[in-house]
Amino acid sequence: MPRDSYLKRSLGTLSRRIRESRVLLVGAGGIGCELLKDLLLSGFGEIHIIDLDTIDLSNLNRQFLFRFEHIKKPKALVAKEVAHKFQPSAKLEAYHANIKDSQFNVVWFSQFDVVFNALDNLDARRHVNKMCLAAEVPLVESGTTGFNGQVQVIKKGETECYDCNPKETPKSFPVCTIRSTPSQPIHCIVWAKSYLFPELFGTSEDNAAELDHSEDSDNSDEIANLYKEAQALKEIRRSMGSPEFAKKVFQKVFKEDIDRLRGMEDMWKSREAPKSLDFQKLQEESASVESTISCNDQKVWSLDEDFVVFKDSLDRLSKRLKTLQDTAKDGVNSILVFDKDDVDTLDFVTASANLRATIFAIEPRSKFDTKRKSPSIHE
Amino acid sequence: MTEAFPSTLVGPSSKERKYDRQLRLWAASGQKALEESRVLLVNSDGPWGDQSTGVSGVVGVETLKNLVLPGVGGFTIVDPAVVTEPDLGVNFFLEEESLGKSRAEETCRLLRELNPDVEGSFQTQSILELIQQDPEFLPRYKLVLVSGPIKHSSLDALCSAARELNIPVLYTRSVGFYSTFSLQLPATFPIVETHPDPETTQDLRLLNPWPELTEATTRVENLEGLDDHQHGHVPYILLLLHYLDQWKESHGGNVPSNYKEKTEFREMVRSGARTSNPEGGEENYDEAVAAVLKSLNPFSLPSSLREIFEMEECKTPTPKSADFWIIASAVNEFYQQHKMLPLPGSLPDMKAQSADYISLQNIYKSKARRDVEEVTKYVRRVESQLGPRPIDIPDKDIEVFCKNAAHINVIHGRNIPQLNGDAPTLKSLGNNLSIPDSLVTVFIAFQILDGVVTDIQTRGQSGQSLDDEAAWSTQISRAIDEITSDGSQVLDDDCRERILEATQELRRTEGGELHNISSLTGGLVAQEALKVITRQYVPLNNTCVFDGVHSRSEMFKL
Repeated sequence: MPRDSYLKRSLGTLSRRIRESRVLLVGAGGIGCELLKDLLLSGFGEIHIIDLDTIDLSNLNRQFLFRFEHIKKPKALVAKEVAHKFQPSAKLEAYHANIKDSQFNVVWFSQFDVVFNALDNLDARRHVNKMCLAAEVPLVESGTTGFNGQVQVIKKGETECYDCNPKETPKSFPVCTIRSTPSQPIHCIVWAKSYLFPELFGTSEDNAAELDHSEDSDNSDEIANLYKEAQALKEIRRSMGSPEFAKKVFQKVFKEDIDRLRGMEDMWKSREAPKSLDFQKLQEESASVESTISCNDQKVWSLDEDFVVFKDSLDRLSKRLKTLQDTAKDGVNSILVFDKDDVDTLDFVTASANLRATIFAIEPRSKFDTKRKSPSIHE
Repeated sequence: MTEAFPSTLVGPSSKERKYDRQLRLWAASGQKALEESRVLLVNSDGPWGDQSTGVSGVVGVETLKNLVLPGVGGFTIVDPAVVTEPDLGVNFFLEEESLGKSRAEETCRLLRELNPDVEGSFQTQSILELIQQDPEFLPRYKLVLVSGPIKHSSLDALCSAARELNIPVLYTRSVGFYSTFSLQLPATFPIVETHPDPETTQDLRLLNPWPELTEATTRVENLEGLDDHQHGHVPYILLLLHYLDQWKESHGGNVPSNYKEKTEFREMVRSGARTSNPEGGEENYDEAVAAVLKSLNPFSLPSSLREIFEMEECKTPTPKSADFWIIASAVNEFYQQHKMLPLPGSLPDMKAQSADYISLQNIYKSKARRDVEEVTKYVRRVESQLGPRPIDIPDKDIEVFCKNAAHINVIHGRNIPQLNGDAPTLKSLGNNLSIPDSLVTVFIAFQILDGVVTDIQTRGQSGQSLDDEAAWSTQISRAIDEITSDGSQVLDDDCRERILEATQELRRTEGGELHNISSLTGGLVAQEALKVITRQYVPLNNTCVFDGVHSRSEMFKL
């Protein structure tokens, strides 16, 4: 009996159409590996695989096309190479690239009979959804988390699309998004609230529920760098109360850390690189701004106004912490905790988040907006 | 459950990093159970007549893949088949060079490549020979997976041997666009860590506060005297307790007990919020109002737990009893004493000043700790009454039990369902047949296929094969007779038609597997295998059917 006997029995003449089709698989991770195998053994004749990730140790427990010796190699290329051996007659193309790159335009998408999404983030899912609608190619969208999974078929004019229903925004963010590559106002707010604030006035960031510290091969070096940065900030904390404190903190988080990030050219190939801020220049430009601007919580403050509120609230918080420490009993570790109803902490988080937003060319937010976006978290 | 691997100064071990994602689901305790388990896969039972080499066994291999990747201790593949050309087209764990070699050996070799931590071995004999020759063979395994269809005599011998040894069995079949699998568990299969929805596990004891909690409430007695910041930060639990006291004063000491009273009470809470602020309300009050209906229910013992407490195993533990039953009897004693279960002790997040939240958290935690201590005392007493046991029950197990007490579960395992006159199975089949689009017809079609294969394998004259019309019609009539045998069932024409249609799909594909259907089924089967091995989450009880034509699945208790 020939190799495709079972397929022919079940699918009849349809098996030829499958063999003659060309499909795109976006993502070679947990779902992608499984799907690539299933597509190959279901007889699909030409499969294009795209993934921008490289392989990490934590992938091996489910992404079965990858072995220990593949760690740090591009997922798309290894998946192609390994899977091809098991179905040599299929044509495979692999791209180690970002599906959002401009080379993958509507014309490119329209060459496929079906597109399969096996992605891990909202942003790329939305992008492929749009491209498939524009190119009029059916899309099979899928996702898993823990013990749950879902599949959705999207076909223009016949089914709802991925964005027809609003999607819940995630409650926690990968640490590298928050610390290195923010792209939305919420990323800056979480940075100010769950990283900068606790490093200066509280205990460490390690316990923040909003930060996901999962390592993979792309971020393990970066996580080590971020750890060093946090340590350096702890050093600066010792000079709290001195006249130089605000400048030191500012120089550290809005200048030096940003310049270091900017130096990592790979990170900014498909994103705009951050631009650090100049303390001296802002000091001069903001000379006429009153710190009472912080009372206007509906207005989106200007950069100068953010700068003034940052310094002023930092000063207010430093004094409060000092008083707490002076009156605390021996052995009690005094800290401040962010609370959106605590004006000093809210001012500080709003101003710091906006300064960071400016650096990454993200839209700043009003104090009122920031408050709405900040749940009280006690974990 | 959150017990971690010993951590070192260098951070997570490479094993923890490799298994990071799954440890979030079943923790170190589940991982340990998995690594200590050896799984047996019976992937075929010889050829079907002259023309077919029998089960292609994709679903079995795919299931194993999903157990090898997360690090099962070891596996053995029993498969007398030799690799054929069609095998290569459907089985990912075979390659060109495998052609003509032992399928057990080749799939074993390629599966082992997936994870160097896992041991793998194979047997080319049939399963019947193995269990008959070596009584020590079966007891090595924690779980048996069988890829069917296989002849009744083999399945029955294997299942009853496994039942004797309390080894769970998963029996799977995947043909064309259809698949089904059934789980045979021991007669009692207790689970402590059932992982219920966190929403349902909240136990705040607002109607039965203990002294420390009442004491915390008195600290906010004078709500009116608090400044706005403090007033907006009183934890909602204390707000509810405060207003409950007020309510009781005006209601003869009774708490709000029905819907009407609860809504009145809710209004009372709502009216206490200060609205003279920019938000026009207070978040802690919003939380209190939202919690009224779900948090003010008097405690009653869940019926599943009442059943467990009344089981003989729980009432009279013996020296041979599993730890579960000894702890269960101690928890029952706790319940008899207090008419309450041990407090789980966790607190939801809420609007509060951090210091207040932490002190409230401590009140719940220390009460939970005291409850665990009391249960531990009962456990130790039972242990000493029972006399020497191999090891004392670990404190950790008692603690985990107490935390999960309201949600523990005991499954009463049933045999792999067959059309063999078993009354509960027949009754359940009948009930489901009366539902117009039930997938139970697919299950029956698979029973018919089992019958045809049995026929070919046992009585097989040469030339007889899966496209033998006579063999199918005999088995179809036999199955329908069987379903209607107890006299309570009358199959109407529509019912018969649906059974014939489902059977036709299996005939059409001559027992051949589609890779994507088998792969998906392998995922589902592995999922149940993981639940059984880790003793976490509640496994299937006892049959699942998947229909790839309509993308539907259904579960049956047969």
